[in-house]
Amino acid sequence: MGTLTGVLPLPRFGSKVAAKSRVDYQNTPEGALVSRAQAGDEAAFREIVERYQSKVFSIIHGIVRQRNDVEDIAQQVFVKVYVSLRNFDFRSSLITWIYKITVNECFDFLRKRKVRKLVYESDLSEDEVRRVDNSEPAVDRQVPMDATLARRDYVVKLLTRVSDEERMLLMLKEVEGFSVEELAEKTGLNENTIKVKLFRARQKLVKAAQRLDRAPGLVTG
Amino acid sequence: MHAVVKASLEEYLSGTLEPAGKRGIEAHLSTCEGCREELAGMQDLSQLFGSLLSEEAMEPPPGFCARVLQEVGGRQPVPSFAGLFSLDLALARRLVFACLLTLAVLGSYLVVREGEYPGSLSPEAVMAQQNYPAFDSEHGQDNMLVTLAAYDEP
Repeated sequence: MGTLTGVLPLPRFGSKVAAKSRVDYQNTPEGALVSRAQAGDEAAFREIVERYQSKVFSIIHGIVRQRNDVEDIAQQVFVKVYVSLRNFDFRSSLITWIYKITVNECFDFLRKRKVRKLVYESDLSEDEVRRVDNSEPAVDRQVPMDATLARRDYVVKLLTRVSDEERMLLMLKEVEGFSVEELAEKTGLNENTIKVKLFRARQKLVKAAQRLDRAPGLVTG
Repeated sequence: MHAVVKASLEEYLSGTLEPAGKRGIEAHLSTCEGCREELAGMQDLSQLFGSLLSEEAMEPPPGFCARVLQEVGGRQPVPSFAGLFSLDLALARRLVFACLLTLAVLGSYLVVREGEYPGSLSPEAVMAQQNYPAFDSEHGQDNMLVTLAAYDEP
């Protein structure tokens, strides 16, 4: 038995784990807040909403731009956070998890809006489509008023060609400005894994951009 | 893209790569058209992401939080399957260690017990067994021979 205890590392009863880990995050004040919300504490969930609502609104506004839609999407984000919170496993930080949900909801919204418009138009005759086009604000077809909007539309279109996770990593890196080390801390992923995922995502964006430049109709969002 | 560029790509794109690393990459790019083109494409796209930043702060309207709470009030959170079996990680580690320790103690006990009892009979006891009807068979005689051959003097 003495030999065995020499081989097996004894768990340090009552001592803190030094490495950054899920358990560490769970023991932080934010981790405790999430645990309370997961247990059904409404006050804890309200605190989460109040803490992150401004950030969520900023993220959505950056992608979607139409102010009328931002609140609707933000509401959907927090509903999804509420419904899925018990599946949050503390592997990443809460804000990273909410960020991913927010970005996905934005892209789902943009995709559904485009599909709805196409379906609606296909039910009408050619004359009726032309009449509709002239009367309603053609948000998707209107030429962007400035270069920023044009660039935004372009990069949004390209970002539909990568996975949810790749999209989140790219946005955290490029839009939020986090380093690879910071991303590793926030997502719980290994730094090399993050570098590989980012590299593959960038390759996909470059290929999508080449296709789009050759034939604008090919890359659909 | 070659490894010399790929390894420090993120730092190079964000402009945070240390000068020595940057010189190494640029030295490679001066001789490798493939890497140069691929990197240029990635740099161009990297600059587009700034358009996704919201220039103006958009604050939630008053009452937004209350509306969210009203919306979720009628909804049930999705129960987590894993949560049904979840254990605190520290407790789980202690339980695993306790199980291993128990197995080790049990195993040691069985090994010690095995040693206390000789596994074979003395030659005299074996020879006495040959009078039994069961030992008239070829199988019984083979067993007797094996037992005698394996016998160790205590």
